[in-house]
Amino acid sequence: MGGYGDVQMIDENGKRVDGRGPGDLREITIETGVVPVADGSCRMTWGTNEAIVAIYGPMEAHPRKIQRQDRAVLDVSYNMAPFSTTDRMRPGFNRRSREISKVTKDALESVVLLELYPRSKIRVNIEIVSAEAGTRCVGLTAASVALADAGIPMTDMVVSVASGKINDIVVCDLNKEEDNYGEADLPMGILPNSGDLVFLQMDGNLSQEEFSEAWQYNMEAAQAIHSKMVEALKGGMQQ
Amino acid sequence: MTIPLVPSLLRAHLSDLAENDGRIDNRDRWEGRDLELQHSVLPRAEGSARVRMGDTIVFAGVKFQIMQPYSDRPNQGGLMCSAEVRPVAGRHWEAGPPSAESIELGRVVDRGIRESGCIDVDSLCIIPGEKAWQVILDLFAISDDGNLFDAFALAGITALKNSVIPYERFEVGEDRQLDVSSTPIMCSYHKVGGRFVYDASGREELGGDERIHITLGDNDNVHSLQKGLKGIFSADEFTEIMEHSMKRTKELRKIVESL
Repeated sequence: MGGYGDVQMIDENGKRVDGRGPGDLREITIETGVVPVADGSCRMTWGTNEAIVAIYGPMEAHPRKIQRQDRAVLDVSYNMAPFSTTDRMRPGFNRRSREISKVTKDALESVVLLELYPRSKIRVNIEIVSAEAGTRCVGLTAASVALADAGIPMTDMVVSVASGKINDIVVCDLNKEEDNYGEADLPMGILPNSGDLVFLQMDGNLSQEEFSEAWQYNMEAAQAIHSKMVEALKGGMQQ
Repeated sequence: MTIPLVPSLLRAHLSDLAENDGRIDNRDRWEGRDLELQHSVLPRAEGSARVRMGDTIVFAGVKFQIMQPYSDRPNQGGLMCSAEVRPVAGRHWEAGPPSAESIELGRVVDRGIRESGCIDVDSLCIIPGEKAWQVILDLFAISDDGNLFDAFALAGITALKNSVIPYERFEVGEDRQLDVSSTPIMCSYHKVGGRFVYDASGREELGGDERIHITLGDNDNVHSLQKGLKGIFSADEFTEIMEHSMKRTKELRKIVESL
C-alpha cells in the first residue's frame, strides 16, 4: 500500500475522486459470446478495466500426468496484455500473474461440477486488455460468466469484488488513484446465492470494525453485480 | 501451437469446392470477409485498434518508452513490433514462450511497416545520443479464425496512425501525434484446393497448403513478401495474386485513411 493518508481522496461531503459515494461501484458492462471460436466467452468492463475470457473444453487433458481419474481439472491462465498498463507490461509469465492464475483456479474449481468430466480438462483463459485496479476481481467474475456461457455446470457463479480503505474511510471498489494511495484492500469471491466464499485475499491495515464494514460492502456489491451477470447471460441466450 | 489433425475429408471437400470455384463459406475466390475496424479502443495504450474479419478478432496497442539511441545512430529512435497469440485465441494455441508461428507473424508485420518508412525514426529523437522514443507495437489475438496476418497488419497501421506520443507523462515536452507518412497494407493468400484464395478462414487454413503475404505501400511499392508453409507456386500464380493485392490494398488503405 502506498503513502498513508498523505493525499486527500475523499471530500467533506464524503464524495470520492470520481464522484462516487463510499459504497458505490464503478460502471460495469458484461457481454457474452465475444470470442467466436471459443466454447464460451465473456467481455467485462469495470471502470476502465477490461477483461476478455475464453473457455475451451471439456477437452482431453494432456500431458497425461495432469489427468485426474475421478474429475476434470481446470487449466486457468490470467495474463495482462502488454498495452494494458500505463508502462508497457513485458509479455510472459511473472510471479504476480502465476499467483492470480492459481487463486482463480482454486476459486473456480470450488464451484464447477468437475466430477461430471473425469480425465478431461477445461481451459479458462483470462486476458486483461486494460487494467485500472481490481483486475483479479474482473478476471474471476468474467471467468464465471464465460463458464456459464460455455454451458459448464456449476453450483453457483463466483462474484468477485474488493473493498478497501482510503483516508481512514472504508470504501467499496477502489479505482486506480485510490488503490495507489489506499491503506487496505480486501478482495473476495462470493457465491451470491449462499453468501459463501471461495476466494479471499487481503493486504493493508484494517481494524476489526473496518474489516466488518468492508466485508459488508463486498456482500452487498456482489448481489448488484450478480444481477448484471444473469442479465448478460439471458441476453446472450436470446441472440 | 499444436498442429490439429487435418481431416482428409476437409481437404477433399475443399478440393471439390475449388473445382467449381466455390469456397467453404460461399465467398468468391477474391472476396474478403466482413470487416470491422475501430481505433482508440484501449484506454491505457497511446494508440490502439481493433479489427474484426469474420470470426477473427485482434487488438493492436502502441506504447512508448524512452531509450538511449544506438551509438552508431545517435539521432534515431526505434520501432519494435511483436505479436502474441495466447491460448484465449483458439484451442490449438498453447501457453508458453512465443511459438515460431507467432514470431513469424510479428516479424512479417514488422517488416511491412518498417520498410515502408512510414515512421520517421529521426523524428523520434529527443536529445541526440541520450534520449529517443522507442515505439512499441503489440499485436494481440482475441479470436483466431484464420488470416491473423492481415488482421494484425491492419490493426497495427491503424493503431500507429492514431497514436499520441506521451511527452507530458515523461516530462520531455508537449504531447503530439505520432507522424505516420504512409499506409502500408498487407494482403494474404492461401493455396486451398489447388488455387490461391484471398483472406482464408480457419478451416481453409487447416485444409490448405502454402500461403503468401504481400505488403504494398502507397504507390504500389512492394515492402515485404513472405511465403509460408510447405508448397510450390508458379510465377503465373504469383502474378495473379499480385494483381489482386494492388486492387485490394487500395480499398483497405481508403478505409484506414478515412478513420
